[in-house]
Amino acid sequence: MGDQIVQWVAGLLRQAYAMLGLSPIAGILDRIVCAVAMFGFVSVFVMFLVWMERKVSAHMQSRIGPNRVGPFGLLQTLADAVKLTTKEDVHPVKRDKIPYFIAPILAFVATFMGMVVVPFDNKVVVADLNIGVLYIIAITSFTVIAILSAGWSSNNKYSLLGGFRSAAQIVSYEVPLVLSIVPIIMITGKLNFSSIVQYQQQAGYWFVVPQFVAFFTFIASATAEANRAPFDIPEAESELTGGFHTEYSGVKFAMFFLGEYVAVVVSSAVAATIFLGGWLPLPFFGFLHLPGFIWFMAKVLFIIYLIMAFRWTFPRLRVDQLMDFGWKVLIPITILNILITGFVVLLLGKGA
Amino acid sequence: MGAIFTYFKNILTGFWNLLLGLSVTTKYLFKKTNTQQYPEEKMPLPARSRSMIKLIYDGEKDQFNCVACMMCAKACPNSCIKLEGVRGPDGKRRMTTFKLDFSTCIFCGYCVEACGFDALTFVSEEYENSVYKRGSLLQDEQAMKWNRPAHLAPKPEEPAKVEAAPAGAKA
Repeated sequence: MGDQIVQWVAGLLRQAYAMLGLSPIAGILDRIVCAVAMFGFVSVFVMFLVWMERKVSAHMQSRIGPNRVGPFGLLQTLADAVKLTTKEDVHPVKRDKIPYFIAPILAFVATFMGMVVVPFDNKVVVADLNIGVLYIIAITSFTVIAILSAGWSSNNKYSLLGGFRSAAQIVSYEVPLVLSIVPIIMITGKLNFSSIVQYQQQAGYWFVVPQFVAFFTFIASATAEANRAPFDIPEAESELTGGFHTEYSGVKFAMFFLGEYVAVVVSSAVAATIFLGGWLPLPFFGFLHLPGFIWFMAKVLFIIYLIMAFRWTFPRLRVDQLMDFGWKVLIPITILNILITGFVVLLLGKGA
Repeated sequence: MGAIFTYFKNILTGFWNLLLGLSVTTKYLFKKTNTQQYPEEKMPLPARSRSMIKLIYDGEKDQFNCVACMMCAKACPNSCIKLEGVRGPDGKRRMTTFKLDFSTCIFCGYCVEACGFDALTFVSEEYENSVYKRGSLLQDEQAMKWNRPAHLAPKPEEPAKVEAAPAGAKA
């Protein structure tokens, strides 16, 4: 069903190109349309997520949360966005101008580009790279450059400390993040997200069942990658005021904020695709014949809810605890998981 | 061997404790919220909570209980009460004007305590006392007029304040 909609939209686009006489550059225009559509989708989704986070946190604390702007306060984020974009752009005089300007853009773009390879439905994906997993790991690591350059160029001790902490954290947690995907790649023998989902369809189970350890380590490291609580020491308010974005205001701050949420969306989308079967329906609910992207979004929202629940449940880790948890717990466990998975794959002869 | 066992045991207990924490917050997620949406919803206040000072108006006799004995004006530490009274045709004193400047009032309650005629009282329900002009804080007897509901009247079997009145009036 999802690919039928895509075919229909593509047909409409082809007609529009032909009418405007742009058929020779249709390939480029397709990419631009995809990028704009993805940007619009991600922006609206992030607005919804900010609202959802505030609602979840409120109800966990027996509060109501935003309920004034729009129905159920749904437009509260829009009001906040208008406020942020119309704000004066205050910046330090002795900043390092070029990195200071580039950092927020990079923070958003680097994470946003990860959305490109995630399949929303069968054959509904912007770029079906056959090294999708590798691409997403590579592209999301760019955030550390953004955060480090933001911290450095702000010419502020707190920002610099926040940037360094963030660099240490992301470099540490990148390792278990990748290592928890490795068993899946060992089982399927594919780096393409669509193929991984198709493997789960054929196998008849989701990878969260045999690889639940990898699922939890992935969620934990993804939370740390997105700099979210309980791993939010780069912007620990009580210690570093705002961390790397202390000196940013207005639109530039909004970009960092957006980037954080897009990182959450990308991690959740990857987790939903790899561990929860992407667009596949829930077991025993296949008779509903819902379009695949609805199942996909439901799974993404579930994982996002988990990450939000972490934020509002667990206390922040100290720096040394953070490093202990990354290097002494997550990495040994993921390596052990890889060993056991490899052993089982060899034993059953199911590997690629 | 023992160290490895402790290592895995620590991880498992830690994981279990994290799940316990998550279950608590998830439980609260679906619980009823405690928030009161203030301007729309108002909390019922206890009958004797002190919000605003009012002059008790006796609806049956169509007059204030106040006899202008000046005890409240004397008790007031900020001298924010100004009142006048006259002797009526029946020989009893009646209050004619009563002014309380709430801009200097500290709501200490001495005037209510000093009142021997059950004429001044605290009311609970009027707590939204912000005004736009300072002059509005100077309230006269019409602004402070309050018909006491029957259920708040002093019970007759109690030694009513009115009986102590002559002593207060002589002093």
